[in-house]
Amino acid sequence: MAKVENLIAIYSVIVVVIAALAIVSLIVSPIGYEDTQLYPKHINTSSPLNPYDRGGVPFGTTEVVAQYPQNSPYLGYVTAYLTPLSALMAISNQYLGTTIVSHPGGIIDEILYNTRGLDTIVETSILFTAFAIASFLYRREEE
Amino acid sequence: MFELASFNIGGHELFVLPFGDIVNYFTPYTAALFIFALIFTIICIISKPERQLETAFGTDAIYAKEVTGKDLRFRRFMAIACGIATMGAVTSGDIFNFTLFVSMVGICIIGIVASVKYKHVLNAAFNYGIISMLATIPLFGGAAITLAATGTLSIWELSAMAPAMPGIAKALILVGVMGEGIAPFYAAKAELFRAPGAPYVIMIHVSSLLMFLRVVEIMLAV
Repeated sequence: MAKVENLIAIYSVIVVVIAALAIVSLIVSPIGYEDTQLYPKHINTSSPLNPYDRGGVPFGTTEVVAQYPQNSPYLGYVTAYLTPLSALMAISNQYLGTTIVSHPGGIIDEILYNTRGLDTIVETSILFTAFAIASFLYRREEE
Repeated sequence: MFELASFNIGGHELFVLPFGDIVNYFTPYTAALFIFALIFTIICIISKPERQLETAFGTDAIYAKEVTGKDLRFRRFMAIACGIATMGAVTSGDIFNFTLFVSMVGICIIGIVASVKYKHVLNAAFNYGIISMLATIPLFGGAAITLAATGTLSIWELSAMAPAMPGIAKALILVGVMGEGIAPFYAAKAELFRAPGAPYVIMIHVSSLLMFLRVVEIMLAV
C-alpha cells in the first residue's frame, strides 16, 4: 500500500472482487428488470422514422414520460419536431431513420435537452476539463 | 412547490433546486457540505498560493518554490472547477448526475497537479489517473443497474421506496467513489500533496472527503 506503483493493482483487485461478488449474487438471486421504466423505448417497425420513431404531432401535445412533468413545461416539443426537409423525406420514403441526415428531435434529445439537461451540461463540462488539461500540457511543451 | 415522493431525505428538506427530472436538494447535512465546499472555493479564488521553503543541508541556503504565471492561473482554474464539481456532487438529487459530478471531480484532481514539474508528483498523478479512469466502470455500472432494477434514478423516488436499490449497485457505486476520491489509498495522495501551492492542492483532499460524506448519505437514504 505504501508504494504508489502498487495502487493500480490493489484497486483492480478490489474492483474484480466486487464484480465477482456481484456476478455470484446475481446468479443466486437475480434482479428483475423493472417494467415501468422512466425512460421507455418502443420500436414501431412500420414507421418511416424507425428505429428513431419519436411519435407525436409537431407543436402539439405529445405523451412523454418524465419523473417530474411539472418541472418541464415544454415537454414533448423536442420529441415531435422535424425540420421541413426531414418531414418531406419522412413522407416520401421509409428509410429516414436509417440515413445520416441530421435532424433534431427524438426521445433521446428530449431526455438530453429537456428532462435531464443538467446531465448533458455536466458531461460536456467533463470533456472540456479534459481538453483544458490536455491543451495546457501540450502548449507547455512548446515553450 | 410541486409534489415529491418524500420530504425526508437525511433530515428535513430546506430548499430544492429543480432541473427538470433532476431535483437537487439541500438538507441540513447537504447544505453543510455545500457551504464547506463553497467557502473552500472562495479561499482558492482569493488567496495567494503558499511558498514552500526548503533548506539545503550543510549550507545557509533556503530555496523557495513559487507558483507563478500561467501555472498559477491554470491551477487556480482547476481548483475552482473542482470546487464547483464538488458543490454539484454534494447537492445532486439524482444517482446518475451524482456519478457524473464525481467523475468530473476525479479529472479536476489530476488537473490541479498536472502542471507541476516534479517527477514524483507526476508519477503519483499518473497512477491516480489510471485508477480514476478504472473507477468509472463500477460507478456508471452501479447507476445503470439502479435504473434497470428500479426504473428511476431520482434519489427522492428511491428513498420513498427504500430499500429499492440493489445491494450490488450500492457496492459498485461505493467502489467507484473510492477510486475517484482515492480515499483509502493515501500513498498516492501523500505524493500529490508534496506539490507546492497549498490552497489548490488541499482542494484534492477536501473534494474527495466531501464526496465520501455524500455517498454515505445516499447509500443510507436509498
